[in-house]
Amino acid sequence: MTSSASSALGSQAAARLRPAAPALLLLVLLVVASLLSGGVSGLELASPDRSRVDQLRGAIADLPDHPLVLIAFDADLGTYPEIRAATRAAIDDLAAHGAQLAIVSFTPEGRAIAAAERERIARAGTEQVPADLGFVAGAEAGLVRSVASVVPASASGPVIDAIRQGGGGIGAFDMVLIVSGSDLSARSWVEQVGTRLPKLPMVTIAPTFLDPELEPYLRSGQLTALVATLREGVAFAEAVEAASGRSSGSIIGSLPMLAGMLAALGVLAEAASRRFSRRGPRRFSGRAAS
Amino acid sequence: MNGFFASDLSGAVATWVAALATIATWSYLVGARRLFVLMQHLLAGLATGYLVLLAIRDVLVPRLITPLIEQPRDHVLLVPAVALVATLIGATWLPRGMTAPAGAILVGGIAAFALGGAVVGTVLPQIAAALPTTNAASPDLIGEVISLAITSLVLLAFLHGAPRGRLTIRAATVGRWLLVGGIGGWLGFLLVSRLSLLVDRIGFLLGDWLTVLR
Repeated sequence: MTSSASSALGSQAAARLRPAAPALLLLVLLVVASLLSGGVSGLELASPDRSRVDQLRGAIADLPDHPLVLIAFDADLGTYPEIRAATRAAIDDLAAHGAQLAIVSFTPEGRAIAAAERERIARAGTEQVPADLGFVAGAEAGLVRSVASVVPASASGPVIDAIRQGGGGIGAFDMVLIVSGSDLSARSWVEQVGTRLPKLPMVTIAPTFLDPELEPYLRSGQLTALVATLREGVAFAEAVEAASGRSSGSIIGSLPMLAGMLAALGVLAEAASRRFSRRGPRRFSGRAAS
Repeated sequence: MNGFFASDLSGAVATWVAALATIATWSYLVGARRLFVLMQHLLAGLATGYLVLLAIRDVLVPRLITPLIEQPRDHVLLVPAVALVATLIGATWLPRGMTAPAGAILVGGIAAFALGGAVVGTVLPQIAAALPTTNAASPDLIGEVISLAITSLVLLAFLHGAPRGRLTIRAATVGRWLLVGGIGGWLGFLLVSRLSLLVDRIGFLLGDWLTVLR
């Protein structure tokens, strides 16, 4: 009786888990691929087209000595892992070029990520912590106000003094690095700041979903550089890492990505074959009837 | 390693909380809906609390209350802002004549900035950039012609119900397939993007939490 009860419970659990089996299998596949990722060579996730990487690296290399660079941190919590390596590489690259950095956010989510990144840089202790310009409320209106004044009254420090000497607004900076992802993306910067400060170079790092929105601005010259896909981000992080010899943190492994994409193709093929097999007999019966 | 957590006790606690929250969220896959709903409520509560703190600490106190207390005569224009904040937090008993202008300025200002910026910063420069160049040797000329052809065909695909000839119908069919192909390609791109987020989370569990991945 006990064995029959336990077998009934086992079959109940199995029946409950059956619908979740494909998702659980995918998770297991990705875990195994992640564990094996370090030992597999020959797979490359970085884009072989380095033009976007060269544009961003060129924009940073063209800066004057000890430039003032504003990092507008308005990433989204959900998509930030996709651009994290590229963002950290860009901050490292700017620091290696002697840039005086300041961080500002116009969205609450961006502010949370910016604070975490500042803490990370402070903990690492390898480079100067960017000056904190805090959170600016008001979305587009806040952006426009920051063109004239972006420094909080209570802020102090050598970078803050340099910004105040330059007028205290966004115009005091030599370049803006926009970390996009939230509602207030590089598009808002182009529309609100680019029209008021047309000579200010603006470069951006954005998650993939923003690429079609931002690419026209790159082509029209309103953005100086754009890194907006995972492959470009990985390529940029690797290029900076190769030049500086410093790691920008974990980069997504190519083997789990390949495994995930093959699984997606498998699902697509299975759905197509199921659809084909459903349609086949209907057509056949139609012809037979006629 | 995502590098967000320190190596001390607080970092270890944060890593454990993040790992357990991730697993609890994934438990939805095996039908544990209560845990998933709990995580949803936790996220909503934390996000709301964070927003309230940010609004009070970074906006209301330094930009509204402090200036009004320290130099009230220099900040007369902040009085409508106080009325607006009072309305937003539920003081509906205030006279409408006092709160309506502040609300109108807020909504109108946001709309004006967004629309003005879209016209001056996007529509006009993009039209200028999209105009074909007169230089016949332009390397982008072929690309521009192809773009024009694809755009025209896709626009034709939206001619639903309008009377049209055989040629237009064929062009619209081609445009519809181009549209489907474009959407499909874009969804594939997004899939790669979302997959990278899942792989990153697995990397966090294996690397930061279980420390089996370095």
